[in-house]
This record gives sequence, structure tokens and C-alpha cells, in this order.
Amino acid sequence: MSDTPSTGTQPTVAEKIFTFVDERVGLKLLAAKMLNESVPGGSRWAYVFGSILLFIFIMQAITGVLLMFYYVPTADHAYASTQYILHDVDYGWFLLSYHFWGSTAMVVCVFAHMSQVFLWGAYKKPRELIWLVGLALFALVMGFGFTGYLLPWDQRAYWATTVGVEIMDKMPVLGDFLARFLKGGPTPGQMTLSRFFVIHVMVLPAALIALAGLHLFLFRCAGPAGPFRGAPAELKAKTDYFFPRQIWKDVVGMAVVFACISAMAFWEPVVLLEEATPDPGDYHPEPEWYFLFIFQHLRLKMFSGELGQFLGSMGLPGLLGMMLVLLPFFDRNPERNIFKRPFALIGWVMLTASILLFTVSAIINRDFLD
Amino acid sequence: MNEHISPTKLGFGILWPAFWTGLPFKLAFAVLFLAFGIIHFENRIALAFVMLLASPVTVFAVPTVTLALGSNIGEGPGIALLFLLAIPIDIWSLGIVGRTFFLERLRREPPGGLGLTLWWKCALVGAIYVPILWVAQGAITEAAIAGAYSILEADVLRGIPVAEGISIKLTLWSTVATVALLVLFVVGFSLVGRMIRRTVQSAGHAPENYQGLIVRWDLMRVPLDQGWMLTALSGAAVVLSVLFWFSLPVFTPHPHDCCKKPEVMAEPPFKPLEILNENEKMIARLAAQVELLVEQRAKSELDKEQSKGKGKEGTEIVEAPDATKPAAPTAAKQ
Repeated sequence: MSDTPSTGTQPTVAEKIFTFVDERVGLKLLAAKMLNESVPGGSRWAYVFGSILLFIFIMQAITGVLLMFYYVPTADHAYASTQYILHDVDYGWFLLSYHFWGSTAMVVCVFAHMSQVFLWGAYKKPRELIWLVGLALFALVMGFGFTGYLLPWDQRAYWATTVGVEIMDKMPVLGDFLARFLKGGPTPGQMTLSRFFVIHVMVLPAALIALAGLHLFLFRCAGPAGPFRGAPAELKAKTDYFFPRQIWKDVVGMAVVFACISAMAFWEPVVLLEEATPDPGDYHPEPEWYFLFIFQHLRLKMFSGELGQFLGSMGLPGLLGMMLVLLPFFDRNPERNIFKRPFALIGWVMLTASILLFTVSAIINRDFLD
Repeated sequence: MNEHISPTKLGFGILWPAFWTGLPFKLAFAVLFLAFGIIHFENRIALAFVMLLASPVTVFAVPTVTLALGSNIGEGPGIALLFLLAIPIDIWSLGIVGRTFFLERLRREPPGGLGLTLWWKCALVGAIYVPILWVAQGAITEAAIAGAYSILEADVLRGIPVAEGISIKLTLWSTVATVALLVLFVVGFSLVGRMIRRTVQSAGHAPENYQGLIVRWDLMRVPLDQGWMLTALSGAAVVLSVLFWFSLPVFTPHPHDCCKKPEVMAEPPFKPLEILNENEKMIARLAAQVELLVEQRAKSELDKEQSKGKGKEGTEIVEAPDATKPAAPTAAKQ
């Protein structure tokens, strides 16, 4: 793609095609708008998480489509078809393992992206809408993880879903309806699998594409927030366009994430447990790792009893979610430097530490039960 | 120019970006070696990642930790090869980070051969300090775990439920271990900063104003020939991708019990001439055996006839029963 004609008198075939499309679509203008975005303070590694998330989503979509060529979403064939993918399809084990670890990477990168926005104070006016749409995208990513976990139809999948739906059941007003709708019967079965599959491969991807588009549109309207500290002269001197430096950093970030997910797929490829049955046997039911911290604090005595279980499973996470939604509206101080916002810094450290602590506690508790 | 930059800030300011600058290249090799099956990290992948990330300081410390302290980050010949390949990558990354740091943060002219100078200084500090850090951190963590367990085993706290007990113990020992690790890291960065301070002091001041410095700093981060750089990187990416798909196992290296493939025994190759010769030899051998048996039979029959003739001439000889004929029933004799 070149803006200037080649040195010869006649344009090349590529230039002719480019001109043809440009006359009809306005490619030059589009490319200029996409690439010549001003980045205050210059490119930074801290800004790569948004692009990385887009990359992970694309890779999840590609691997997901390839897996769907072989996967059968029925209760009597889901397990066998997953085993077939793992053992008989060429490179099937790598595709499935990449898809599995990709979902984990997505959760980690969403948390990193949200942390970066929070710590940089990039949710403040005029970027409140970007933050809200971002929160909705975070919920969708968690939904992807929750619905995808059931599909292999082994004991781990079955019981993680059972525990997850039971936690959802404790939600006031909507909880009972949602739990019954998702399960489609008294115990997880064919209806559950069908509904989770459709939500996983149709509803959530469509919603994510729409919201991600809106997120990007709002981001381009408001513009990047830039670093939270630095003298105006320094920021002005370092201000740069999105292309090429930020794009280069994004590409390197994507390569690193691809390498990390591949390394995880080699290190710990997906291995299924026994086929799902309503009898857990020796298996101790637990949700997937990113819900383990909620699961572990439900084991605490202070959250025992019906009220305690509700508070632990829905009350506190709901309160946290509500605080995140309202954050840009009650935090109206224009100060963005995180070192001058002690409550924000302490709050983030406490939340991250408690999530880590309870997740590791759940793993130790699992070993204790085993 | 920040004349009074602390050694910790100096060490951290150079090492931290250098760690991440070299990582993508090192990761590419690590993934390839994993695909080749010459590296096995077992349960220590997080530790292996940290050691690889920090290879400018851990490159000589890893053998010490493995051989002298009996603790390894994984197995396989690929680990040694990986850390060997990390050396030129680290020299390059320390060079590029060092030059930009000298110019932008210290406002000094970066001296020639900066990457190599920074690398050997970092590697030297790491070779001595990282094993000390390893031992100290291990001892502190063990002591903290023992302390946390002994606190929870006190009579007053015995009634604490299991889940609460686990979280309290984890909080107690992990807080101590994390604080100790942070302190040890700060000391380590400070040591590296002290080692490279002399290089900073011997560098001359940069003559330009801030805007001029930023322009130079910015150009330092961009390759001189971008087309060549893009071509080289694209070529490397293609080669790595081909190698990756070539080395990637087709089937899972961890098959489930229910789906283990049956062991197929390969049949020996069919060689008609050899088999024909063997059969001919066998037929000849069997024919010789049959001939021998016939001769023996004829000889024994001849001997019998001769002995019968002798018996008729002398006393009557009682004939021994033929083993091949069925014995006569006892009742019939009676």
C-alpha cells in the first residue's frame, strides 16, 4: 500500500487495486484516521493491553471455529468428541489447549487493562462511558469463561457449572430464573449443554464484537488520556502518533502473549477427567480458577447460613460491581496521579491482594480435602 | 540531568526495561525448545519464567543454584542452550536500554560498548548475589511458614475452622516472605546501580537542550533502515513459524487413560527370495530327516525279522507288546 505512484509512468496492479478501492471506500482517509491518532506523552508499554485483548479474542475465535468442526454439543457425544479432538485430530490437542489457556490469558489481561485504566485515572471525565462499556466487556469475558467451561462435559466441567449456577441462584429477583433458564432442568443435562453452547458461540461473541466496537469508538472520540504525571513540556516533546511506535509495541505484546499461551499449552495440555455424571465420587466440586476466590470465602464461617451465603456470593461481589460502575461519577477529582490518590491505591492493592490470597487459599484447601 | 540519582533507581531504571526488551526473543526460543521437547519445566514454570526474564543477572546464577544448591528450574539440555542464547540478546537489550537511559534520564553521552559493559557488570553481581538471595529467601520463607503454623497451633487458636486457618496462615507467611523478597530485590538493584555508577560518572554531558535530546533519544529507538529491519523481522517470524509447526507434536503428549492408542507391532518386511531360500533349506532338512527315519525303520524291521528267525530255531521267545497297538483288555484274558 503506497500513497505515491511507483517510479514508472504506469501504476502497478497493486496501486490500481488500491486506487479502485480508495475511490469507493476512502481507504486513505480511513488509514490516516486509524493510524495518525495522537498519543500524548508518546507510546508506552502500559497501553498495549487493549490491543492484546483484541488479539486474544481473534485467536479465541479462530481456534474456537476450528474446534467446532469436530465438537458435538450433545450430552452423549460432547465428551467423546472432545476426546476425539484431543487424541485423533491432527494438532487438535494444541488447538484445544491454546483455546483453554487463551481464556485464562483473556481474564488476566482484562484485569491488567482495568487496573491500568484505574491506576492511570483514565476513567475520569470525559471517559466515563468508555469505563462503563469496559465493565460490560469484563462481564462478557467472565461469561465466556463460565459457559465454555461446561462444553468438554467431564466431571470438572459439570461440577464447576453446578457450583456456578448455584452461586447464581442466590441472586435476588433474577437468580432463580437465571439458574432455571441456564440449567433447563433439575440437574445439568442436554438442555444445559445446548444453552451454554449457543450462548458461548453465538450470543456472547456477537455482544462482544458490538461492545468492543462501541468501546473503540468512544475511545477515539475522547482520545487517549496519556500519562498521569510529567511536565507539560516533556509530554509535548514526547507526543507521537499511534503509528508506528505504539503499533510496534502492540505487535510485540501480542507476540509475547502468543508465546506465553503456547508455552502454557505445552507445559500443561488439556487433559479431561472422567465423563460427567451426577455423582461427584472422589472429585471435590469447584468453579474455574477465576471464581475460586469467591468460592473460598464462601467456606468462611462468617458466610455460613443462607444470609451469609447470599452476602458472600452475591452481596459483596455485587457491591464491588456497583462501586466500579459508579466510580467515575463519585470520583470527580481531576487529579490522575495514583500517588496522589491514596484511597484508590490502597483500595486496588487490598482488592488484588485479597483475590490472590483467597485464590491460593482455595488451592491449598483443595489439597487439604484431597 | 539528575546528578543524585540513587543506585537503586539507577539499577532498576536500566534492568527493568532491559528485562522486558530481551524477553520476546528469549520467549520465542523457549517456545521452540518446548515444542522440540528438549525442555521440561514441570511445576516450576513461573520460576523458570522469572529466571529467563531476569537472565542478565541470572545467567551465571542458574548453574550455581542448580549444581551447588541442588534446586533446578526444570530439566533438559534446552535450558543450558536457552541461557546461552540469552547472552547476546541481553547484551543487545542492555545496550539499547542503556543508551536511551543515559541520554534521556541522565543527559549524558552513552559511551561505546555500553551493552557489553553493563552486561558483564550485571552478570557478575547476579552470579554472587542471586544464590545468596535464593538461600536467604528460602530460609526466610521456611521460617515464616513454621512460625505461622506454630502460632495457629497455640491452644487459644486451636478452634479456628479449616478455611479461616488456611487463609490466616497464608497471610502471615506470605506477608513476611513478600516483604523479605522486596527488600532483597531493592538491595540487588542497589548493588547493580553501584556497579554501573562509575560508567555513568565517566560519561560526558550531552550538549543538546531537552528537545534535542528527545529527538536523539527517539531516533535511537528506531532502526536506521526500517525497510531492512521489517524484512529481517518478517523473515525471522516466518522461519520461527515454520520451525514451530514442524516441531509441534501432531497428537497430545498426555493421552487420557480411556483413549490410549493400541501399540501397533510393525510386521517384518517381506523378502520373497530370502523366504524362498529358507523354505527350500527347511524342506531339504525335513526330507533328510524323513529319509533317516525310513532307514531306521527299515533297519529295525530287518533286525526284528532276524531275531524271529533265531527264536524259531531255539527256545520260544515271548514277543514284547507293540507300544503303538492298544493293550488287550484284562477281562478278555480272563
